[in-house]
Amino acid sequence: MTDLTTLGIAEAGRLMARGEITSSALTEAFLKRIEAIDPKIHSYITVTADVARNAAHQADREIKGGLRRGPMHGIPVALKDIYETAGIRTTGHSHLKADYVPAIDAETVRRLKDAGAIILGKLGTHEFANGAMTPDQPFPAVLNPWNVAHQPGGSSSGSGAAVAAALCMGAMGSDTGGSIRNPAGYCGTAGIKPTYGLVSRCGIFPLAFSLDTAGPLAWTVEDCALMLDVLAGYDPNDQGSAKSETVDYGAAAHGAIEGMRIALARSWYEAEDASVTPDMKEGIDEAVRVLKDLGAVVEDVVFPDIWDYHICGRVIITTEAHAIHRQDLIATPEKFGYTTRRRFQLGAFISAEQYIGALRFRRQLHQDTRAAMRGYDLVMTANHWGAPEAFAEPQPVFHFLDKPSLTMPFNVTGQPALTVCCGYGGDGFPLSFQLAGHAFDEASVFAAGAAYERATSWRMHRPKL
Amino acid sequence: MSSPKTPTLEEFRARAALTGLTLTAEDIEHLHKGYVGLLGLMDRIPSTWAWAAEPPHVFRADK
Repeated sequence: MTDLTTLGIAEAGRLMARGEITSSALTEAFLKRIEAIDPKIHSYITVTADVARNAAHQADREIKGGLRRGPMHGIPVALKDIYETAGIRTTGHSHLKADYVPAIDAETVRRLKDAGAIILGKLGTHEFANGAMTPDQPFPAVLNPWNVAHQPGGSSSGSGAAVAAALCMGAMGSDTGGSIRNPAGYCGTAGIKPTYGLVSRCGIFPLAFSLDTAGPLAWTVEDCALMLDVLAGYDPNDQGSAKSETVDYGAAAHGAIEGMRIALARSWYEAEDASVTPDMKEGIDEAVRVLKDLGAVVEDVVFPDIWDYHICGRVIITTEAHAIHRQDLIATPEKFGYTTRRRFQLGAFISAEQYIGALRFRRQLHQDTRAAMRGYDLVMTANHWGAPEAFAEPQPVFHFLDKPSLTMPFNVTGQPALTVCCGYGGDGFPLSFQLAGHAFDEASVFAAGAAYERATSWRMHRPKL
Repeated sequence: MSSPKTPTLEEFRARAALTGLTLTAEDIEHLHKGYVGLLGLMDRIPSTWAWAAEPPHVFRADK
């Protein structure tokens, strides 16, 4: 008997369409596994077992009756706990929202439900998608399923951990400076930060309006594409939402990549002052070789300095996050975790001129990046520097002073960026790289990422819990 | 940026009093370190722009 929890979304959908499995059986398998495994990694804040069972029964009735809503019909997924859910508490992993029960669903949740997806529950996160996993928060820290003594990455920590541990088939995360791609990388899953404006943020707790994006994490690139198929689309209730063409991302994930031109931003991750671990370098070099074997052209290209993107994005996040949380910082500062409070307070010291300067710099970096990409379809670079930090190590409050973020460039430019697992280091942790496309060209990103996955065997290897 | 002077802790304390936040002495010392670090990195952001170099009000990746 196949372990239902390790099926991919595409495969499970095919089996359901043929009547070989039911959504109820799939959902029960996940609920049982959550009960057995999640106490070891704390990825869930709230498990909505009854809601999930009812939705699964309805999906089964619909499928049996000939109604097929699409590839997400009957598929169990989970949500970072900053996605508002009608009648189900949405905490932001914070004392401030520990009892908050929204009246309506976030637009993305509504779309997932309309597509027939089954919501298993709400997942742990860095507080308000910005803080860190610290003991002064109302829920336990999410642990890395590859080694529970280490961080899972954040801020979509529960999303990365739950997908890697096979506690859901896909999960929603959010990405303002790398919060989908960091946990995807550290937990060895796929994850995409879509183009800014492609997916609605309406009903998701904001961190920094002009950088926030919402997107999926799943075990494979193809599964991320299938999730994005139901998530993408214009929403008049989101000020940043774009009217873009409808694209079949699931089909794009099966596209050929022969002749595709990829610009390798090596200078970002192999520099004198900051370089990835030897294992990571080897993994990325090997991934370049695989992509070349598949017919892609991969060439080193010089982009603006990684620190430029890093500081530009950090000033914008720090300022906007302060503005969003200012009233609570004044009224009830003690309700924030220590690290979150400090990071949000810092924005009070940034002047209007400094903030506007960062926004102007953003436009310049956007133009310079586009110029460097001329003649190329994708950018490839490292996803993270090396192994995740151990919980035993002190967590820096101002983490941005240490090394530049490898994920920030694509938040600053708004481009779509995908995390792809490319092996495992000697320490057992996953290695990964990013593929970023031109704005709204998620199709090329998925094509290259999925082709790489099909050509390698890394997706066969799951954490043992 | 055009605010290059690194504030001393004393100058920073004076600014902190104007933020409207309730901050302890320890808070201010810690925030001072973070701000000085941030300011050092902000040297990378150009200080001179054409006066009409308009930043995006709502960022659009396709523009």
